[in-house]
Amino acid sequence: MPSNPSMSAAIVAAAESDKIGYIEEGTTALNLHIEAIRNVCAEAGISPTEIEGVFATNHANMLAEYLGIHPKYIDTTSVGGCSFQMHVHHALAAINAGVIDIAVVSHGEAGFSARKNQGNGTLRGGGGDPWTPAAQFGGGPYGAWGPPSYYAHALTRHMHQWGSTKEDFANIAVVTREWAGLNPRAVMHSKETNKFGGPITVQDVLDSRMIVWPLNLLDICLVTDHGGAVLLASAEKARSFKTPPVWIAGAGENQSHADMLEMDDFTATSAHASSEAAYRMAGMGPGDMEMAMIYDSFTVTAGITAEMLGLTPRGEGPSLWADGNASPGGKFPVNTNGGGLSFSHSGMYGMMLLIEAYRQLSGTAEDGVHGIEGKQTSAQSAVVNGTGGLLSVTGTLVLTSDV
Amino acid sequence: MADYNKPIPSPDPYVTQPFWDGAKEGKLMLPRCTSCNRVHWYPRILCPHCHSSSIEWFEASGEGFIHTYAVQNRAFGGWADETPYATAYIDLVEGDRMFTALRGVDAENPESIKIGARVKIEFDQADEDTYVPYWRVVD
Repeated sequence: MPSNPSMSAAIVAAAESDKIGYIEEGTTALNLHIEAIRNVCAEAGISPTEIEGVFATNHANMLAEYLGIHPKYIDTTSVGGCSFQMHVHHALAAINAGVIDIAVVSHGEAGFSARKNQGNGTLRGGGGDPWTPAAQFGGGPYGAWGPPSYYAHALTRHMHQWGSTKEDFANIAVVTREWAGLNPRAVMHSKETNKFGGPITVQDVLDSRMIVWPLNLLDICLVTDHGGAVLLASAEKARSFKTPPVWIAGAGENQSHADMLEMDDFTATSAHASSEAAYRMAGMGPGDMEMAMIYDSFTVTAGITAEMLGLTPRGEGPSLWADGNASPGGKFPVNTNGGGLSFSHSGMYGMMLLIEAYRQLSGTAEDGVHGIEGKQTSAQSAVVNGTGGLLSVTGTLVLTSDV
Repeated sequence: MADYNKPIPSPDPYVTQPFWDGAKEGKLMLPRCTSCNRVHWYPRILCPHCHSSSIEWFEASGEGFIHTYAVQNRAFGGWADETPYATAYIDLVEGDRMFTALRGVDAENPESIKIGARVKIEFDQADEDTYVPYWRVVD
């Protein structure tokens, strides 16, 4: 029997690019990557050349070359916003197998600057393939232009199938904005950071511009520039850095479909399976979790995921945010950075989930830069779930504090 | 046809041609596995249920039901002129699901559209060879 990789590696540092959000002077995905990797190495007190494994959604080899790293392990898994949870899963397996001791998972994406650069904001190249069968019969012929066009169908079905309401989901955006108020780097932190920033109400969400019914503008994440990176190290080395370890107790991933044409149940995602795997590896369950970082590309993404992670009964996902439970000072904090809805979301948001979970569990969530008084929670365990594609693919991590 | 200003799918001759040939004649052609007898959509070179490569095409009823829908208030290109318009996933009577832009609904009143409503297929000529399928609510 292979050994259980639980706790065989830790996240030992986390950092972002120098600037994040709406970077007016412009930037590139590559710059965001490199800044983040440089910063995370500086925090941990190592040289980038000590990195043995490079994990990034595309062109991990290009990053390695740029930094003068000769990696023993390269992984360019790129399946959307949950890719980073999966990178951690893969790095955990590689470390547990003894192939590498130190890995970096990196993200750089210029979702905002791409508009002026006329690129797609990632390191991906273009494509000239003929339309695949799924594309011929997917959203393209019918004017679907991006994730909102598709995700809206899931919210309609959830309301029909489970009797939920737009107000239930709008409240997720309201609570998430409360957390943004405690994060000075959040785009929507306050009127000082953005003219649309500061606290919002359920009515504000319902009154915001209708983009794709039933999704209003404030049900939908930001589109920003963002870079971030985390360092992973084996259990033997995890305490040899300037920064403290946060342990990877469990990891799992799964996929239900790629195109929404093949989404069997519009109110369920593979997070049910990926979290089951992560909990099983950790020997823990949803009841053992003390906070959650849940991908919130849309309010409906977060609501459904809460159910899949076992944090609420089926059909009642938004109740996780009800009655102040998930708010600052609540008994089960969720999306403490302000979420993709109000902090920052470059297109693939999973890295930001990782960084914030690391900060919370290492007690550094309130450093004055990434959080002010009230943002640090007492949580010692977190479930972190990324969702990619069109509610298609998920990666779940169970992380625990160093005790 | 001349004024069809929406994206036109480019059929691939290897897998999906029978659908597009049928569409030209106003028929909904669907692929069915002759090993497990199940219909699948989108078309493939093997059955996603049992992985047999024995696929046959047959003329389907062209009837289905709304599984879920949304109203696109924002769109680009030719679709920008159509907003708001409804899109939907259709449960086919024969099994599996198609995506479409819905007809015969009031997209200005999204809540008037009913999940489970019966729909029938129709085809719009987009260019000489391509007839794009749409579904219309019939009750």
